[in-house]
Amino acid sequence: MPPPQDAPSYTIHPLATLSPPSNSRTWQTAPHPTQPIVATACSDRSVRVYSLTSFTLLHSITGGHKRSVRSVSWKPGTKGQSVLATGSFDTSAGIWRREERGALEDDFTRRRREEDDEEEEDDDYQFACILDGHESEIKSLSWNPSGQYLATCGRDKSVWIWEELEDDNFETVAVLQEHDGDVKCVAWHPEEDLLASASYDDTVRLYREDADDWVQVALINGHDKTVWWVEFEGSGMSGKDFRKQREGLSEEQTQHIELMERSGPRLATCSDDCSIRIWRRKPKEHGDHADSHTGIPSIIRSMAIDEDWLEDAILPQRHDRAIYSLSWSRRTGMIVSAGSDGKIVVYKERWKSPMTNGVRADGEAKADPNAMEEEQEPSLAEWVVAAELYSAHDVFEINHVCWARRADKGSRWEDEEVIVSTGDDGEVKLWTLDERSAST
Amino acid sequence: MDLDKQNANPTILNPSDLPSRRRTSAVHRRDHGGSGLFDDLIPQYNYLNDPFEQPVSSSDSDDDAVEAIDEQEVYDLISSISDPEHPLSLGSLAVVNLPDIHIIPPASPYSSISTVLVEITPTITHCSLATVIGLGVRVRLEQALPPRFRVDVRIKKGTHSTDEAVNKQLGDKERVAAALENGTLMGVLRKMLSTCE
Repeated sequence: MPPPQDAPSYTIHPLATLSPPSNSRTWQTAPHPTQPIVATACSDRSVRVYSLTSFTLLHSITGGHKRSVRSVSWKPGTKGQSVLATGSFDTSAGIWRREERGALEDDFTRRRREEDDEEEEDDDYQFACILDGHESEIKSLSWNPSGQYLATCGRDKSVWIWEELEDDNFETVAVLQEHDGDVKCVAWHPEEDLLASASYDDTVRLYREDADDWVQVALINGHDKTVWWVEFEGSGMSGKDFRKQREGLSEEQTQHIELMERSGPRLATCSDDCSIRIWRRKPKEHGDHADSHTGIPSIIRSMAIDEDWLEDAILPQRHDRAIYSLSWSRRTGMIVSAGSDGKIVVYKERWKSPMTNGVRADGEAKADPNAMEEEQEPSLAEWVVAAELYSAHDVFEINHVCWARRADKGSRWEDEEVIVSTGDDGEVKLWTLDERSAST
Repeated sequence: MDLDKQNANPTILNPSDLPSRRRTSAVHRRDHGGSGLFDDLIPQYNYLNDPFEQPVSSSDSDDDAVEAIDEQEVYDLISSISDPEHPLSLGSLAVVNLPDIHIIPPASPYSSISTVLVEITPTITHCSLATVIGLGVRVRLEQALPPRFRVDVRIKKGTHSTDEAVNKQLGDKERVAAALENGTLMGVLRKMLSTCE
């Protein structure tokens, strides 16, 4: 007899707890875009930078914020230095820089190395500038993929977009006040200048620049409680996840992949309502460019910029309290989630088997086969639980979870990932994901 | 001064009518003249040590070591909190009531997380202090109960004009955390909880 189809196919194993842990709640951990380090936002007003190679504390950034550091984000694409943005309950965001010693030694001659003694004290993260503007706590911040923009959001219901004109000179390019409640999280699209925000008002909103003004282009309703986290799928995932294997696919499946590729990276959200939802942009039809019909430039902003985001899937419900965070693997397309119930759950997407395609898992036949022809046809793919782990941080809540590239000696293959979880116990833990057959 | 208060003339319960395990405690308390109801209970229970740390299958005959906390104990922890505008306890004002305290066991046999649900009854329907009272109850329980308990504090349905909004705030961990970093609010909470020590 084959094993039950929905039995988790992976197990989550502890790899390390980053040491020493913080004495108080830790909120969020951000892996560096290129180096094997992570930065952790701590409620003791500090940021801790740990090594993913030795699992030890490298730097403690203190003295900048007057309240909890709630969010951290590494600026992508920096050369020779690391740039970290920190968002705090003290209403401000900070920018910190550190020259990368290794890069200096590679790039410069011995002459440079003689100056090392003087630079010794610069080895730490240096405060660069402060971004003031929010009226109350900053809850999240995020650099866009090019590093041109930094988005911040907070309890004052606003989302701010900052542009770095030159080093440490930031200009406010937008203050977006569409939400009716705290804005909990901001996230950038991996390919486009498209920003998403999730809120206490239960909605998700998307923004883009239109004629020099950033405007809301989509409103996503679907959760019925606070949306805690929003994150885009990685770029080009159809060449990496379950869609990678193209042989033996049916015509429908091939069409499905093409449709998904036209939509571009999807969006995942998680909520206090204990659900995780995937959203997909409705691809624009060629006839959608309304301007071309009239040829008259409108003073009202063109509707063509508005986007429709449709619910693509609801993940199997495995959490029974608020889900605070999720993360979409850029390598495998798997999603990991965590929250108040202390569980870590990993989900993966797959083709529905022919068995479950026409007949529902509970044996009930599809009510209307013509539903397939409708505009929002049922997906040919489905999400299943790949692994789950109870009490990952003992009895404590998990505030954040993400994927990072494994960097210790035990790494088993190139691009192996670890799960990084951040908890109320002040601990940042690393976990490996092992295929069940391989682990026994 | 009473004119400044939102509810200048609240109903106050007789201390001997408050729920307690020890019928004699009301009498006993008068001897000490203080908030002895809670002090008396302290040595009787070991809930400050997390029973979860103990091996469940130990030879200890005390089978219910993990279930050492019941509704009465939760009541005792929060009934002695002072009202922010009256020199009275939440128990005597019937803001917290024993039948409105629920302990929900772990949702799964693999989980060790229990939930304490407390429904509070504000003294008047538009009391803007409901949030502060709720926050006080949540903070008190988060500090006193072992961390395996999740604390949900809600306004009892139909007793408050904006109960949904207050419930949403009280349930938001991030807002609660930020509130506890606010010096003014913390001062109010500390005063409310000072009668619990």
